[in-house]
Amino acid sequence: MKKKDIVMGIVVLTFISGLSGYLLAQVYNNTKPKIEEAKKQEEEKLNKEIFPEGVKFEEKEMNKIKYLSVLNENNEEIGKIFEVKTLGYGGYIYLKVGIDKEDKIKKIKVKQHNETPGLGSKITQDNFLNQFIGKTKDEIYLKKDKIDGKIDAITGATISSRSIVEGVRKLLEKIREGEK
Amino acid sequence: MKKIIDFKVFLNGIWKENPILFIMLGLCPVLAVSGSVKDALGMGIAVIFVLTGSNMVISLIRKIVPSYVRIPVFIVVIATFVTITDYFLAAYSPQIHKNLGVYLPLIVVNCIILGRAEGFASKNNIFNSILDGLGMGIGFTLIIFVISSIREILGNGTFMGKILFTNFNPFLIMIMPPGAFLVIGILIALKQKIEKGKKIC
Repeated sequence: MKKKDIVMGIVVLTFISGLSGYLLAQVYNNTKPKIEEAKKQEEEKLNKEIFPEGVKFEEKEMNKIKYLSVLNENNEEIGKIFEVKTLGYGGYIYLKVGIDKEDKIKKIKVKQHNETPGLGSKITQDNFLNQFIGKTKDEIYLKKDKIDGKIDAITGATISSRSIVEGVRKLLEKIREGEK
Repeated sequence: MKKIIDFKVFLNGIWKENPILFIMLGLCPVLAVSGSVKDALGMGIAVIFVLTGSNMVISLIRKIVPSYVRIPVFIVVIATFVTITDYFLAAYSPQIHKNLGVYLPLIVVNCIILGRAEGFASKNNIFNSILDGLGMGIGFTLIIFVISSIREILGNGTFMGKILFTNFNPFLIMIMPPGAFLVIGILIALKQKIEKGKKIC
């Protein structure tokens, strides 16, 4: 290899990397507010879907569990929204669980997941998640795991279904323990 | 001597040397995101953009890059384009960004892009390189669209998320990775049949 080639290689690689870095910094700065806004909107949309009558959502903490306190227009608390992280088939599933004043499930929404498209990804559909509405801690088992269970698993996606069931039940247990 | 602008290069990528059916590079994202038509189209558009952009830049700098640093330089260029696409999708189309997940950053190591950079753009002028990127990208998108349509309709009974049939019992295997292998295999066989005609049966 000639000396000239070695110098040229160093110069070109440094130059290209520097230019790319500069370009990426520009793009990052320009899209960052947009990305954060999109994330915030998504979050607010989910909260509204769980509690359509909620007006204000305040961050609070109870026994080291963080949650959102949902207030209606008269500033009364009508429920809480918890975030649950549970291990599914393709990584963690992030849930938002709405709980009403009687500690029953109001509504569940999947915030983020990595389950198999077409199979596990059906956990986001309402006909699965609506099964949880109004259930208490002892009813949240898969029908095939426990006789008292009231939740039907999704065909071909037992692991994903079970992980949601477990995650939600553990949350309810944790809340109850905290209250004692 | 090759022409400065050769439209055959464009058509080449769409049919004769189609990246999925002939070169058979970059199959992992094809398997991964062809379960639903919407995700497949998002992936296809991202690939068209990255492929065209990186081909253009690499063809521009091909004469000043010494051959022993060419691979790192190509990767830096490709990674830049992928990251730009990543940010833009996250900002303007969060839903597709969410669905493509990890496969979007993984376009960096999609062999078809480095393959075209090394095999075409580093040897040809800028116009032909852009045409090649567009042709290969569109060829990739068309085939991934066909594959995902077949898989989504048979495996889930839906097309672009719309339910097509009632009382339909889907073939679960079509939506899983083996289904993608089956569909790709059948499409490759069909392409061979169309091109070679009666010589193979």
